[in-house]
Parts: sequence; C-alpha cells; structure tokens
Amino acid sequence: MLSMNRLKQKKKTLSWNTRSKLLLLPSLIGSIIFFFWPYIRVLYYSVIDNQFSRKIVGLSNYMKTLSNPYFQLAMKNSLLLILIGVPIIVILAIVISLLITYQLYKFPRLRDAFILPMLIPTASIVVIWQILFERSTSVMPIYALFVWKYIGICIILLTAALTTIDREVYEAAKIDGAKIGTIYRKITVPMIAPTIFFIVLLSIVNSFKIFKESYLYYGNKYPPNHSYTLQYYMNNNFLKFDYQALATSSILTSFLVLLIVVIGLRTQRRFQS
Amino acid sequence: MREEKRRGVKNILLFILVLILALIFVFPVILTVLGSIYNDNRLSIDGYYQLLLNCFPFFGFFWNSAIYTVAITGGVLLISIPAAFSFKFARFKGKKITFLIYIINMMMPFQVMVLPNYIGLRDLGIINTPWAIILPMFFSPFGVVVTHQYMRELDSSLIEAARLETNSVFKVLINCVIPQVKVCIVAVGLFVFADAWNMVEQPLLYVNDDKLRNLSAFIANTENFDPAVMLPASVIFLIPVFLCYLLFHEELKEGLKV
Repeated sequence: MLSMNRLKQKKKTLSWNTRSKLLLLPSLIGSIIFFFWPYIRVLYYSVIDNQFSRKIVGLSNYMKTLSNPYFQLAMKNSLLLILIGVPIIVILAIVISLLITYQLYKFPRLRDAFILPMLIPTASIVVIWQILFERSTSVMPIYALFVWKYIGICIILLTAALTTIDREVYEAAKIDGAKIGTIYRKITVPMIAPTIFFIVLLSIVNSFKIFKESYLYYGNKYPPNHSYTLQYYMNNNFLKFDYQALATSSILTSFLVLLIVVIGLRTQRRFQS
Repeated sequence: MREEKRRGVKNILLFILVLILALIFVFPVILTVLGSIYNDNRLSIDGYYQLLLNCFPFFGFFWNSAIYTVAITGGVLLISIPAAFSFKFARFKGKKITFLIYIINMMMPFQVMVLPNYIGLRDLGIINTPWAIILPMFFSPFGVVVTHQYMRELDSSLIEAARLETNSVFKVLINCVIPQVKVCIVAVGLFVFADAWNMVEQPLLYVNDDKLRNLSAFIANTENFDPAVMLPASVIFLIPVFLCYLLFHEELKEGLKV
C-alpha cells in the first residue's frame, strides 16, 4: 500500500519533459524488438557458419552470397531499375508537376489521375496488365508498373514544393524577357532541388519494393530472368531456412541502401552550398 | 496579340498531351471496371454473381485483409503520433541520432528487414498468428518521420500556452497538437491503409496457414480462380481504397511534405 502511494506520488512529480519523453517509448520498444536488436543479431548471423555450431567464419558467407549467380542476377536487376527506372520516374514527375502547377493550373483535377495509382492495390489491376502486355517478353510490364505506381508520391511532393515558390519571382524573370524553359531550368528546378533529391532517394527505395509487382504479375512461378528481384532470392532462402544466406544478403542490401542515401545527402549538401 | 494567341494554342496542345498521359494512367483501372461487367460481348454482372455464389474463400480473405488493414492503420497512428510529438517537443540525450536511425530504418526496403522481423516474431512466439502480420507493421517508422516533418512548423509557444490550461501530456497532444496536424495524420493514415491493403510479402512469409493470408496473397495465385471472376474480384478488391481516396484525396495532396 505504501509503495503504491509512493508510486502515485512519484507519478505526479514526473516532470513535463519526462512525460513527453515517455510518449516515444511504445514506438522505441517496438522498433528495438523488431528492427534494431534483431538487425544486430543478423549482423552476427552473417559471420557464423551455422545456427548450431556458431563458429565465427569471418567473411566467407559474404563471399558465398556475392558469388551466388541468383544473388548477382537480383542485384543486377535492382541496379538496372535504379539506373533506368528511377530517372524516368523523376524526370516525368518533374515535367508533369511543372505543367500542372503553371501551364494547366486551371485543371487541378489532372493531378488526381497520376496520384490515384499509388493507392490502387497492384493485385487488382494485374489482370489487365497481363492482357495489355500479353506479348511482351521484356522487362516492360514491370517497369511500366513501377512508373505507374510510384510516380504519384513524387508528384504530390513536387507540386507541394512548387506551390511554396513565390510567383513574383516569375513575374520579375518574365519582365526581364526570360523564356519559360529558361525560367524553369534556371530558377524553378534549383529552388526545388531539395525535394528533387528527396524523390530520387524515395524512388530508389521504392525500386526495391518492385518484387510485389513482379510476384503478382508472374504469379507464384519462377519469373523470367530480367524480372528476378532480390525478394525472390530471399523467399527461396526463407523456405530453405538458410539463415546465413538471408543474413548476408540483408546486410549487403542495407549497406547498399545506406551508401546510396549517404551519397545522395552528400551531393545535396554540396549542391546547396 | 499574336503572341497571346500562340501561347493559347501551345497551352491547348500541352493540355491535350497531359490529358492523354492522365488517361493512360487511369486506363488500367477503367479497363478493370469495364472488363468486370462485360461478358461474352454484352454487359452483364454474371461475374459478380459467380463470385458471390461459388467463391466462398474470397470473402474470408477479404475479411482478413480488412481486419489487418484497419488494425495496422489504427496501430500505426496510435504509436506514431505520440512518438513524433516526443521527437519534436521533448528534450533528451541522443534525440538527433535516434531520429536519424528512424529515418535510415524508413529507407530500408523490406528485403533488409525480412529476417530481423522474423527473429523478433520468433522470439515472441507469434509466428503463424495474425499478430505476425500486424505487429511489425505497427512500428514502421514512416508515420513517425512524416508526422514529425509536418510538426516542424509548430512553435513550442503553442505547447506553453496549452500547458497553462492542463498538465496532461495527452490532453495537450489531443486538444492542441493533433488539430494542427490533422491533414498530415489523415494523409499518413490513407498511405498506411493502402500499403497494408496491398501487402504481399508478410502474409506469404510469416504465416504458413493459408486461412490467415490476405486477399493480395490469395489473388496472386490465379489458379484459385475461374477466369470469369478474376475481374469482378479485382474490382471488389479496389473498392475500399478507392472510397478512401474519394473521401480523403485533398488531405493526401496537402498532408505530405518534405
């Protein structure tokens, strides 16, 4: 009883700052249970020989994963999507956002058409996709799905950034006789550069999610080589309970993403200064 | 005068160009809907009848999808909003680095987190239960980071003023902060809702029992379906997100900023 009272009293005396801090706790505990702590254990799994003898084997698991042809194929496809798909999505998003914000501002509904796909579940349009791309043996259907699905968020963020630019800037430039294309290139794009950098990063991150689209498009069969993604590799090793293969590819992928993010932020900082 | 006319023509051409692009983007959805009511060269809703009468598992999976999605959306908002508040207004050691870790976590694709999530679930002994699908999603950092970005514009004087009225953190959060970031919360909710409705990997990997899977994972196995009911099933599948979109698209467009 006494301790209960003390507890109550203590609760009352908790400072405002402490109580604000406590609001983070549920999120932090969950993140530690499901992300941070297991990630560290995965790091450990990636350098031991197996779950039972747990002998440290250094980087040999990494060598094995890196020389695995399926892992190489998946990585190659991921990088291709980043090098080809991401520029397409970013440039298209910039052009559409500029047109919608300045030339066609009388028709704001146009923007909705590009935003809608990001919410539509892939599983529900995949049948039509299979009909539309029936004869395609290339990577087209998956790249088209990628652009279709992930351009909406880019356009939302870009148009939000564009509307914060003061219109007077344009009036001044126009009076000086600048062409509209020049204005976009010289004024608008630099002003929204941070947003552009962000959508490049976001699109790269989204490009890793394309497994879902590929899986739904090809069903639970083996996909053609060009659409084989990292997640297929992970799923196969998951079924085999090959923790070491899973752990090393997890770590390698996370390093790759981290590298991309760091390079992205560096470039942005240099660009801004 | 001529200059203006030329600009007018140019604008019309641009309009047509963007309109065509826009149509291409909504085309798959329109085709899906039209295809679902077009059978043997005539309009009919036989497909829907067949789905209703012959395809019982469909509705079980629809129900699963609904439960997972509602639970995940609610959980994410309940956990993320207080966390974002804390990141914005509380002072503590290591706040910056913790937030940075959240951002990095947000950037990580699911491939990286497949095994860590699985280990967490295994330790808690909830593999092959609905919780295996729901629980890790609760702690997705997306909501925390985005809500925090939106709160950036809020001033701490707002909090000081509210504290004169009450000493409860919850009351300040609910009565003073949440109304200011309502648009963002709706946008995050809609985003998470669509994401959860669309999820495939988690139900495939974290549960073995087919009965626990969701509609996305079920639809992926086309052999489950008579082709005639494929499109009606697709339409019913997209109705919930489409309704949410109609209700909340303004918030979606205003509430996400970087």
